[in-house]
Amino acid sequence: MTDVTPTISIDARGISCPGPLTNLIKAYRKAKNGDVIEVLATDPGFKSDVKAWVERTGNELISLTEEGGVIRALIKVTAR
Amino acid sequence: MRRSLSDQGYFYHPIHSSGDLMKGFGIVLYTGRADSLILAGVLAQTAAGYDIPVRIFVTSFATPYFMKDKPELRAPKEFEDLAQRMMAGMASMGVDSWYEMLKTAKELGDVKIFLCSMTMEALGYSKEQVDPIVDDVVGAATFLAEVSESQVVFV
Repeated sequence: MTDVTPTISIDARGISCPGPLTNLIKAYRKAKNGDVIEVLATDPGFKSDVKAWVERTGNELISLTEEGGVIRALIKVTAR
Repeated sequence: MRRSLSDQGYFYHPIHSSGDLMKGFGIVLYTGRADSLILAGVLAQTAAGYDIPVRIFVTSFATPYFMKDKPELRAPKEFEDLAQRMMAGMASMGVDSWYEMLKTAKELGDVKIFLCSMTMEALGYSKEQVDPIVDDVVGAATFLAEVSESQVVFV
C-alpha cells in the first residue's frame, strides 16, 4: 500500500498548526478523485489532525508514518 | 524509526466519527488578549478548512485590534512571563500572526467578521478607522441571528 505514487506533494515541514492542514485543504480543493496527496509535516499535532480530517471528509488515509521527526501522510482523494 | 509521542499514547487519538460537522461556528471575541486573538485565528482558519461557516463577533476590549491602527498585543499581568515565552516561541517557529490566520480563514471559506457597533462607538472609533478585514459593523441581534444554528465559543 505504501508504494503508491503521490500525484500531489505538499512539504509542510517547519510549519506549525494550523498551517499543514490548511495547505492540505488548499491542495485538496484543486484535486480530483483518484489523486494521491502526500504531506510531509513536522508539527506534532498534524498526526491526529490529518486523521480527524480524513475521517470527517470521507477520504482515505493510505498511510501515516513518522521517521526522524517527519510525519508523512498519504491520502487518497475519494470524496471530491 | 523513532517512536513518536502519539505512538506511545501521549497524544489524543481523534474520535473516528463520520457524523455531520456543526452547521456553523460562532466566535465571540471580547477580551482583546493576545492569547484570545491567536485562538480565534487558529479556530477560524481550521473551521473554514472544514467548510464550516464562521461568524466572529468582535466586541469590548477586542475592538481596538480590528481598527486600522492597532494597539500592541498584551496579556494579563499574571501571565506576562508565559506570554513573552509564547510570543518569542511563535516568532521563532514562524507561526502566522492572528491577523494573518483570520485572513487565511477568509480566503478558505465563508468567514465573516462583525464589529460590535456599541463598543465601537463607546471607545470613540468611527467607521473610517475600521480595518478592512471587518465585514460589517452590526448589533448583537445580527450576530445572534447569524449563529442561531451554530456552536458559539467566547474567547
